[in-house]
Amino acid sequence: MELSDWELVQRCQEGDAAAFQGLVARYYRKVFMVVLGILNHREDAMEVAQEAFFRAYRNIKGFKGGSAFYTWLYRIAVNLSIDFQRRQKRTPTEFRETMDELIDKREGAEFAKDPYVDFQGKELEQRLFAAINELTPDHKAVIVMRAIEGLSYKDIGRILGCSEGTVMSRLHYARKKLQEKLGPYL
Amino acid sequence: MKTDCKTVKNSLGAWLDGELSASETERIRMHVEGCPSCSGEKEQWERLQVSLRGVLEGEASGVAFEPFWDGVSRRIFAERPWYARLWDWAGLAFVPQRLAWAIPLVIVALLAMFSLDQFFAGWHWGSNRGNGSAVDSIDGHGFNVAVFRESKTKTTVIWLFENQEDEDESSGEPASAESSF
Ligand SMILES: [Zn+2]
Repeated sequence: MELSDWELVQRCQEGDAAAFQGLVARYYRKVFMVVLGILNHREDAMEVAQEAFFRAYRNIKGFKGGSAFYTWLYRIAVNLSIDFQRRQKRTPTEFRETMDELIDKREGAEFAKDPYVDFQGKELEQRLFAAINELTPDHKAVIVMRAIEGLSYKDIGRILGCSEGTVMSRLHYARKKLQEKLGPYL
Repeated sequence: MKTDCKTVKNSLGAWLDGELSASETERIRMHVEGCPSCSGEKEQWERLQVSLRGVLEGEASGVAFEPFWDGVSRRIFAERPWYARLWDWAGLAFVPQRLAWAIPLVIVALLAMFSLDQFFAGWHWGSNRGNGSAVDSIDGHGFNVAVFRESKTKTTVIWLFENQEDEDESSGEPASAESSF
């Protein structure tokens, strides 16, 4: 029988490191996606996502179960990502090279079924990353969390430490901006 | 009251996210169904959401667990003092199905104790028991380990016998301590 997040957390709090490995296995992809959405850089996203789990482990005794474990974990990951990005501003050229390389690498590993559709998809993907990169970290965070996890405004507000109204207006602004940039490709 | 396009477009995201009240949801739905401009925008927003999720999921699917966990555990182990690391290691090694480790460990510890006993027979606790013999028995996860000591002849006999049905578990090797994730 699969243990709940809270049961695994309680085991970690009692010093069972294997239980923490279970939590990492459960959430590492989701955390990686959120961080990548904010940082737009694969290696940085790996580093920051790993660091987020490490900090969660170090502070696990402070988690009292008042909220869901993943909202607590996302808060750590999002705050780290936002701090990281503010400290390390990449230039637009640096960014474009990184993302093009990243997308090429992945496309190369897959079989292109329809070259036209494939080209369109790749074009959209590159433009999407470029458009997201022009948003502020706070706007990226809301749009990415909503897109990946379908988190409620309430949960997103809890993670970011802001009101539901702020989440709604940030999401609206971010979507409008992306729509302006990507209109013809959508 | 007729709902205008500007109001609807402002609430489109919240509507798609299911964050509006039942009455507002119904009002927006009615308008969008009959308005090509708003329904076109709704479809764009949906495609945006799907594309973003698709792109990120595509990237994340290429991240394997092992290297990711290596990075996390390296951080965990690096900053901790040696005694805390030993504790972490113990936590990983001694979850219930891995208790088979305890059997050879107990045997080695007992052997070490009794060989010391033979060297320092004059003052070791073993000699305080007079010329009697002692049998210690330890139940070890499907095996019984029994130790018979006879201090006059300085003979120690250790034997193992099974008394339970779950044999496979007791034969666990260190390799089985690998996690099942
Ligand atoms: Zn309309």
